[in-house]
Amino acid sequence: MSELTTLQKWLTSIIVRPGMLDDKIRLADEYYQLKNDKVIRPSLRLSAKQKIEIYSKGYILRLLECIEAEYPALNKLLGQNLFHTFVKAYLVQLPPNSPDLYNLGEAFPAFLKASQPQTTHSDTDVLMYNLPVDLAMFERCIAEVSRIEGLENRIKEGADNQMPYLFNTTAIYTSPCLKLLRLQFPLVDFVQSVYNDLEPEIPVTQDSFVCVCRKNYRINFHELEAWQWHFLNRLQNKPNYMAAVIDTATICSIPTDTIMADLILWIPVAISFGYVYLK
Amino acid sequence: MDTIATNRLGLPNLGLGVGLRSKHYSHLMQNDPVVDWFEIISENYMNNFGYGRHVLSHIASIRPVVMHGVSMSVGSTDPLNLDYLKQLKQLADFVNPVWISDHLCWTGVANINTHDLLPLPLTVESLHHVANRVNQIQDILQRPLILENPSTYLEFESSTLHEWEFLSELVNRTGCGLLLDVNNVFVSGFNHGFDPEFYIRNIPHKSVVQIHVAGPTDCDTYLLDTHDQPVPTQVWKLYQLAQELTGGVSTLLEWDANIPEYPELVAEVQKAKEVLKGRLPNVPVYRTSAVDVVSNPVNHQMQATHE
Repeated sequence: MSELTTLQKWLTSIIVRPGMLDDKIRLADEYYQLKNDKVIRPSLRLSAKQKIEIYSKGYILRLLECIEAEYPALNKLLGQNLFHTFVKAYLVQLPPNSPDLYNLGEAFPAFLKASQPQTTHSDTDVLMYNLPVDLAMFERCIAEVSRIEGLENRIKEGADNQMPYLFNTTAIYTSPCLKLLRLQFPLVDFVQSVYNDLEPEIPVTQDSFVCVCRKNYRINFHELEAWQWHFLNRLQNKPNYMAAVIDTATICSIPTDTIMADLILWIPVAISFGYVYLK
Repeated sequence: MDTIATNRLGLPNLGLGVGLRSKHYSHLMQNDPVVDWFEIISENYMNNFGYGRHVLSHIASIRPVVMHGVSMSVGSTDPLNLDYLKQLKQLADFVNPVWISDHLCWTGVANINTHDLLPLPLTVESLHHVANRVNQIQDILQRPLILENPSTYLEFESSTLHEWEFLSELVNRTGCGLLLDVNNVFVSGFNHGFDPEFYIRNIPHKSVVQIHVAGPTDCDTYLLDTHDQPVPTQVWKLYQLAQELTGGVSTLLEWDANIPEYPELVAEVQKAKEVLKGRLPNVPVYRTSAVDVVSNPVNHQMQATHE
């Protein structure tokens, strides 16, 4: 290993490792057979360790700031101390490896889920453990929808007001930035309150069908009825309007005719929010 | 400010610019940008097809844009990240930037990215390593790479070169350009006890393509590159010297946290005109006793437009 490689591995290990600075430096010194005060030049004002600490401290503070920006509602729910505890544990388990900070929080919902106890015994347990996971999934979804390719360059201006779908349902496709979430809590109002700087109410357990989408660079997230969610889900998996209608009718135990009639009224709404579009 | 073509790698003096930041998107979509040009953090727009890219597209249609990266990790001993460079090139195809810059630093090793601009030991080994990589990167990007001197908080005992010597030799070996951050020279000069004016006098002025100015934070025993304050007098003084020695190059104000409203940001960069007339603003270095001051050179943008 070259001297440059050794120095880089030595410093990186100190920066990303958890624990007290003295312990981290001692372990790195031992492993790489270096002596920090022989590696880093001290100054009149700062020792070698104090200089390393500027980087070590900055690493955590910087990444905390980034994950806070992505998960403001979760931060609100957990409170900053608990939120920071989870983020720090996440960074220890999965140090960032992507040059894109957008990827930093990608695995955070899965990390929270994996940190839950294997068995829960009461409704309180469910609320305590599942709510943060659902909320993290929701917020990650919003972050993803804000950046992935959307409809902006696909639909023509004014197309919203046309209703050719009545005659040509084969032209209906889901938006490339449509995300569907099935949650255990109704979280739309909670997240909206946090984004509007209002005090959110903690939701109670209830099946929730949510869609997150973007149209004209505006992000929409709404609670859907189960049949609407299933219809979009089926259409997203296989762009066949009639097949989606039939599958939805089966899943929701609703007559096909009823689904079709409801869709005539709802499709314009779905187009206006950008859930679906006409190709 | 006049936009004068120079021989700085054949790149022009773009005048006075600011960083494109999400806080100002709405303002910029409705108002004249006033400034001469913009710098973007490349990583904020790579693989980003949301509102940020829409605003970037608008800005690029009315003003010159420069791409400034923080994740090239030119000094890392990990293999070059070819996927990253491919994405950078794709963004360049979209933006058509006047140039592409990054930092003389490494961001991690062993596939870890600390998202910090970490200092290199300034040795002949490092110089050889970085020069090889800069040459490879320039071949891939098919354009000269412009490298910025970072703010540093530690020096390696093994260093045998001063940073200005390292950069001069790097320019000789690769033909790369320099982004001279006079605030970073000020910060590193304070932290390591060198004379920032001596540094600026001893870099190859003909290779300086751009200058950064910014406001740091005085944390008592060291200066931190926080990009969250007005530019202090000492930094303007270094700016004045750098402009004199280079004959005039593109100037960019960096402001990445505690970002002011757009008119205030523009007023801050316009101070450069007064400085070049010899009128230095009287601004002290911001001091704080807070313990959790963070330098976030990345300016992460998780911007979203919600209903």
